[in-house]
Amino acid sequence: MGDPKEITTLQATTILISTIIGVGVLPLPLFAVRAGETSAPFVTLTGMFLAAIGLVFITSLGIRHPQKTIITYSQDIIGKWLGRIFSILVIIFFLILTSLTAREFGAVVVTGVLRETPLEVTVIVMLLLASISCRNNINVFAYIHNLYVPMILAPVLIVVAFSLKNANPLYLRPIFFGSDLWNMAGGMLTVAALFQGSFIITMIIPSMKSPKKAIKASFWGILISGGLYLLIVIATVAIFGPEEIKQIFWPTLELARTTAIPGNILQRLDIIFLAVWVLAVFTTLFSSYFFTIHSIKELFRLKDHKVLSYFILPCVFFLAMAPQNILHMYEIIQFIGRIGLLITILYPAVLLLMDFLKSWRRKRNVAKSS
Amino acid sequence: MSLLRPKKRTYKKPQLLTPSKLVHQKENTPTSSSLDETEQQIKEILGNNGDLKIKHFKIFGSFSAACVYFSSLVNKDSINKDILRPLMYEPEHLIGKEKPLAQLIDIILTETLYHGEAKVGGCLDDLIEFMLRGETVIIMDGLKEAIHIGTRKVDKRAIAQPETEQVILGPREGFIENIATNVALLRYRLPTPDFQVKTMKIGRLTKSTVAICYLKGIANETVIKEVEKRLSEIDIDAILDVGYLEQFIEDNPFSPFPQTQSTERPDKTVANLIEGRVAILVDGSPFSLLVPVVFNQFYQTTEDYSSRFLMGSFVRLARILALVFSLIFPSLYVSLISFNPELLPTEFAVAVAGGRAGVPYPAVIEVLIIEIAMEILREATVRLPKQVGGALSIVGVLVIGQAAVEAGLSSPITVVVIALTTIGSFATPTYTAAFALRMLRFPIMILAGIFGLYGVMIGIIFIFNHMLSLKSFGVPYMAPVSPSDYQGMKDVVIRSPLWWMPKRPDFLHPANQSRLTEKDNKVLEHNKVGNDQREGTSNGGSEGDHNTSGNNNLN
Repeated sequence: MGDPKEITTLQATTILISTIIGVGVLPLPLFAVRAGETSAPFVTLTGMFLAAIGLVFITSLGIRHPQKTIITYSQDIIGKWLGRIFSILVIIFFLILTSLTAREFGAVVVTGVLRETPLEVTVIVMLLLASISCRNNINVFAYIHNLYVPMILAPVLIVVAFSLKNANPLYLRPIFFGSDLWNMAGGMLTVAALFQGSFIITMIIPSMKSPKKAIKASFWGILISGGLYLLIVIATVAIFGPEEIKQIFWPTLELARTTAIPGNILQRLDIIFLAVWVLAVFTTLFSSYFFTIHSIKELFRLKDHKVLSYFILPCVFFLAMAPQNILHMYEIIQFIGRIGLLITILYPAVLLLMDFLKSWRRKRNVAKSS
Repeated sequence: MSLLRPKKRTYKKPQLLTPSKLVHQKENTPTSSSLDETEQQIKEILGNNGDLKIKHFKIFGSFSAACVYFSSLVNKDSINKDILRPLMYEPEHLIGKEKPLAQLIDIILTETLYHGEAKVGGCLDDLIEFMLRGETVIIMDGLKEAIHIGTRKVDKRAIAQPETEQVILGPREGFIENIATNVALLRYRLPTPDFQVKTMKIGRLTKSTVAICYLKGIANETVIKEVEKRLSEIDIDAILDVGYLEQFIEDNPFSPFPQTQSTERPDKTVANLIEGRVAILVDGSPFSLLVPVVFNQFYQTTEDYSSRFLMGSFVRLARILALVFSLIFPSLYVSLISFNPELLPTEFAVAVAGGRAGVPYPAVIEVLIIEIAMEILREATVRLPKQVGGALSIVGVLVIGQAAVEAGLSSPITVVVIALTTIGSFATPTYTAAFALRMLRFPIMILAGIFGLYGVMIGIIFIFNHMLSLKSFGVPYMAPVSPSDYQGMKDVVIRSPLWWMPKRPDFLHPANQSRLTEKDNKVLEHNKVGNDQREGTSNGGSEGDHNTSGNNNLN
């Protein structure tokens, strides 16, 4: 790692925010409503908490090993070969996550804006953009996220603010337990899966100026992005009501469509919203892409990640083209998301536990020998 | 072939140094003690030149000597009055004293010559170089060493108002070609020992003087060292303008964005020096080169700071808007027209469609045609003399604005869009930055023609990512926006009042940060005195006035 360690806490926070907010913004209310009906905001909140717990695991692991990422310290904790096998799993998971993000993005663009452009073209353009940007070092990676966060947050907040005048608070009741518990638990998992990008903190910590402050960054990161998700869910549910949302694929886009800014400057907002949403997708895709190649670099102890960025491009592209249609794609996304929770929450939890045990045993040994 | 190759290599080296081999053969040869011999050698090298003057005379009436100079480069008055007269006409205080040949040079330098820049030199090639720079060389018979005196006088133009960076409020001086004058303009504003000027010579033929100016204790040492290192690595035959240096020292030559700033204004240069930047001046160029730069300084002007902060901030906001216009306005137009007309208010969309009814091309082709015509028109007006330029722009405006619409080549809205874009790019104060955006407009337009708003976004993301990855002498290009810096952010979108910015921007890593005094600035409180609207006038209204005028000693 030749780069100077100069990522600040603020930059780490912005990386988390812009990585978490991504394609998931559009179908999130649908997922939440399917699971919890009127208590969709509550489902979102619990999902956020689950994700926060996972983030605490991975961050504290990172703080205990401030020079290393999960790829390298897992080998210290559970042994070289087991660590490598799990690292490969992590890499494969993020590879799939990258391609699914690209695919979901392509699906939205093709249905929403460019109806005659082939799906492949929109996806490959986005992937090319990400892979070219991935050739920079991790500091530039942080600068990029830092710059885009306000541009990602602003349009969502504007749309939510202007749409609330049509809100009907009745749609939000009952707040708790609007549906059966089992269903809500499933929804919670799906929502938590939208926060999987936060796993990237493991790559950031070794390049941070003060790794100890990573926990602060994670807290603010998950609070701001989760708060935004919650706002979106509340706004869409309060305006459309649960029954109508179930009929819509991307309720957030519909929300933007029904919003009008005063003064009639623009007739419709949804296209503008989509255009800015491209930014949010880009940052998410960029993060997972960067994480993938950075992890491969660490796993094989390569010096540079630049070459890898084009090397895995065809791989990501073919994976992105694998789902047959939108319905199939969302099935896969939900499935992969839940498996991903095992990797992003359970795996760090186990690692952290073993790490604790190890250091505890070591302390006891030291105490005994002395 | 194989025989020729080694020969070529052996020849290459001396040719690289300078085309004239004669001087190099004479390198480090001491001048001969015989006057005739030295004269002969000089003539051998420079004899063909009509403006080489060799004047024989006798010092104090007894020692034969010669005065050699280029008549085109020297101040003849000074030679006659300050050099020849005291040497030929023995001064009173020397009459009768013994003057041995060995001490002659000493006597001349300390007791005779009325000139501040007289020195002793021994090598022939050095003397020749001094002559070529306008010095007068005095060779004396029987002495190996010669005296050379700085008598250079080259005509220069007067200090005038900068052509490319005019201001309404602020100083009117601009740099000129002569580096001595330019350094003087800087020194006059910075009478402090911290202001340092290091010079070096670059260019095998032009031997241009390059000055590196910085404020010691404010500029970052590593930046200064890096500038010196990059400059000293340049090996080229000619440096005719500061732009030559720019191309050698910038970090990424393939980027469309300028990574150094050149300015004609001494006040701007000084302001940048005080922020901790390094300025590079070249003899013969009326521009100074400032490094390191960040993007936001390309839309700042000195006027922002000399006018009141509300004015400065407002103008700056307008300029940022113009910057955005000049980059994406045509592509937004193209994508709205050809992909998402539903975004426009209905009445306007109908009007646009009506205007475009007779136009045979898709919007992107139409916009591209008019844009290219605009670029040609602009380039033509830059090169033309002023008298013709006015006529040309009228013709251009008529042709593009009126006739093109009537001929069905473009719709009126397109012309409006292009006009706004062009005006927008004129509103960017720095020519090079405006140029970068002008260039980048075209790829975004094509992307907009293919993908609509999605394409515009892709283009913008790509440009932003590129800008974020740029560095100028170790400073990230988009600082202080990203990586963010609280002190620097006060001077990005708006120009905060000067007393809000007590520290120098941190992204330049200045060695000294404090700009204002540590204690709170009390200026505003003094102003309350005599202002009965703000406070009771208990301490007498005129006292404040008294103080300010009493301290006033401008003279």
